[in-house]
Amino acid sequence: MKSGVGCVENKSVSVEKAQEIDLMEPTVMAYIAGVDVGNNTTEVAIAEVNQQGKVSFLSSAIVRTVGIKGTIQNAIGVIFALDTALKPLALQRKHLSLILLNEATPVIGDVAMETITETIITESAMIGHNPSTPGGQGLGVGTTIALDSLASAVRGQKWILVMPETVDFREAAARINEFMAEGKEIVGAIIRNDDGVLIHNRLLRPIPIVDEVEHIDRVPLGMPAAVEVAPPGRTIEKLSNPYDIATIFNLDSEETRRIVPVARALMGIRSAVVIKTPKGDIQERRIPAGKLVLIGKNQKAQVQVEEGAEAIMARTEEISPLVEIQAEPGTNVGGMFEQVRKVMAELTDQPVQQISVRDILAVDTFKPQRVLGALAGEYTLGNAVGLAAMVETHKLPMQRLASKIEDEILVSCAVGGVEAEMAVRGALTTPGTSPPLAILDLGGGSTDAALISEDGMIQSIHLAGAGEMVTLLIDTELGLEDKELSEDIKRYPLARVESLLHIRHEDGSVQFFEKALDPKFFGRLAIVTDTGLLPLDAKVTLEQVIAVRRQAKRKVFVSNALRALKRVAPAGNIRLIHFVVLVGGSALDFEIPKMVTDALSEYGVVTGRANVRGTEGPRNAVATGLILAHEEKRAA
Amino acid sequence: MNITEDIVREIILEVLREMEAGEQPAGSFKEGGTPLAIKEIGVARAGVAKNEVVIAVPPAFGTVMNKTIVGIPHQQVLREIIAGIEEEGLKARLVRIYRTADVAQISHEAAKLSGSGIGIGILSRGTTVIHQKDLKPLQNLELFSQSPLVDLEMFRAIGSNAAKYAKGESPRPLRVRNDPMARPRYQGLAALLHNKETQYVNPDKQAQEVTVQL
Repeated sequence: MKSGVGCVENKSVSVEKAQEIDLMEPTVMAYIAGVDVGNNTTEVAIAEVNQQGKVSFLSSAIVRTVGIKGTIQNAIGVIFALDTALKPLALQRKHLSLILLNEATPVIGDVAMETITETIITESAMIGHNPSTPGGQGLGVGTTIALDSLASAVRGQKWILVMPETVDFREAAARINEFMAEGKEIVGAIIRNDDGVLIHNRLLRPIPIVDEVEHIDRVPLGMPAAVEVAPPGRTIEKLSNPYDIATIFNLDSEETRRIVPVARALMGIRSAVVIKTPKGDIQERRIPAGKLVLIGKNQKAQVQVEEGAEAIMARTEEISPLVEIQAEPGTNVGGMFEQVRKVMAELTDQPVQQISVRDILAVDTFKPQRVLGALAGEYTLGNAVGLAAMVETHKLPMQRLASKIEDEILVSCAVGGVEAEMAVRGALTTPGTSPPLAILDLGGGSTDAALISEDGMIQSIHLAGAGEMVTLLIDTELGLEDKELSEDIKRYPLARVESLLHIRHEDGSVQFFEKALDPKFFGRLAIVTDTGLLPLDAKVTLEQVIAVRRQAKRKVFVSNALRALKRVAPAGNIRLIHFVVLVGGSALDFEIPKMVTDALSEYGVVTGRANVRGTEGPRNAVATGLILAHEEKRAA
Repeated sequence: MNITEDIVREIILEVLREMEAGEQPAGSFKEGGTPLAIKEIGVARAGVAKNEVVIAVPPAFGTVMNKTIVGIPHQQVLREIIAGIEEEGLKARLVRIYRTADVAQISHEAAKLSGSGIGIGILSRGTTVIHQKDLKPLQNLELFSQSPLVDLEMFRAIGSNAAKYAKGESPRPLRVRNDPMARPRYQGLAALLHNKETQYVNPDKQAQEVTVQL
């Protein structure tokens, strides 16, 4: 490390501490610890500094962060990490002359989901229903009728049978056969129980049967209706086409226009019922989710959340550099912003009024939603916007942590320097790197970037949206409602358990086992964690999970990587950055580095994972940088 | 201490008498019911059809015992399980195991005879297991150990879940009900029924393929 990296302005406290060190006997060899408290992990580096100011690193450690980053609770984790690093060196805490803490830029992110569309069925217009086992196949068009009314029903008319759960499948089949023998034309059935195949197997003349219709009592009788069941492996053709529906029910052009949402909702499923009621209608309603006020340095703009992520991000880009983002009070998005600011205020002991949202990342997503007024408890995928918000304050919570540690272990402890800048210095210890260089720190709560120029000037930026946002997207899009499971899906690849003695990984490769797996894995998907398999108990397919996981990572990390680099790049041009190094926990992800690398290769940027000090991989960059920065400063 | 069968029997009857004075259900169990129209058609062979699920029952099922511990006729039990399998598009095959009255052994035997590798074992009192041929006998895919809590709806769902396993799907395991009172209330009766069940075990007789008129 050469000098010349002098632009870092250390905060007053750390300068004082540094001076204290200077007052020590200069010839004595000193041990210094760099500590990086992150959202998830606390990392430590320990180095020895000789009288010439030469730094040699001795050990590192990594432990889980205790408490929320920036709070006093962190001290326990820090002390534990120090002990872990000191142990192999046969040193004790008292041998340390200084502990340097990262100046955790007080950034917290929160994520929320705003539903912006909802599907409502007025009257009973349709069942867009996908039971796993409908009966029969084909299309039946007739008038809805109850089983008991069939006895007195006139001949020469076509009927669609509506059956409640009280009718046993054998009785149902027998009576349908009887009525058919009498010459009554039954062309389809809508039933409550999961009996479609059972009834079909007992009929002399097969008809299409849609089963598992939850609210069978809401199906109106005496109305024209159509029932369609597609062959296995196919999807319905007639009822998903507005013109076929028009043909079936003799609709005029105005009515056909109104039936379009019905047809659209029925696309891609295996069985469906459409009933023509006098006032039947289906609507897609947009829910007002509130608006955001973007206040930039020079201008101000408003954007409605329901306009979607693209519009929000486009406006944000226009207004940038942002000073503050406000949300309309009393709306959903307003509530979310309030929450973030409240947490931050508690964390830093400041009044809520002084805390403002500095950045947001909006992502388009979808959320499984119950269709209002549906007959079979159907779900549709409602559009939603996911928002990550980030708050910055000026007061440093790390100072409190530093004095707490000092009190606890009686070693001087100081706040070293801005995280991203320290990370650059640490990253520069990666063999084969030199300034100018940019780092991308893909974390849990925020995405950070920093650029060091040839003359040592460092520029850095923190943006909202990172790992937690990815977890939220996976959770909502798969409808899991289980954050821990979603977190595991994010971190590890999947496999399908094909027998208890072998699994097929998501890339198609097969792994055999000597010992049979636990029966709970039988026929299931499993998450391949570092410590073994974890069963995935949800109604999702392998392909679905992989698609959602990759999409979520791309939407958040790739778009944020580009956004962050644009902010630090000379003239906002990513092409002018030649080398990008990935640091932080997400750099260890099994697919994120490749996604980011692919995206950046379009700009002609060389991207790779850091290898801090040639030994640490993408970890320990900040802890390492803290020690180096401190020594440079002392030398200078 | 020497515990003979007679002592156990005495204690159980004692407990049952006491309970009859208090609560009703367990004490109200009456033997009887119509035997199943069941016919043995020879030694059960291992199947090759991928679309079958084998259901295995012990010797007393539907012959000397005709209903579960809560009085569900065996005829309806079989009907629902078979319907559950059929609704999923698979076929049920029925066998009777003579050599044991243990639900783990019975269901594992069913799985080994089944072309799909999936079998269901049902005891006369209603205890049921879904098994897979590669598992160890004492393991299982799904176990419904509290016989008083298995009702008709559940038997249907057991059939349909077994069929889904056979199709290579990943059904959500059924929510197993648990009633802390089921044990004290039914334990005595369950022991009596088990005793009766085991009396008909014949260790030397091979499993038999059976047909049943439902």
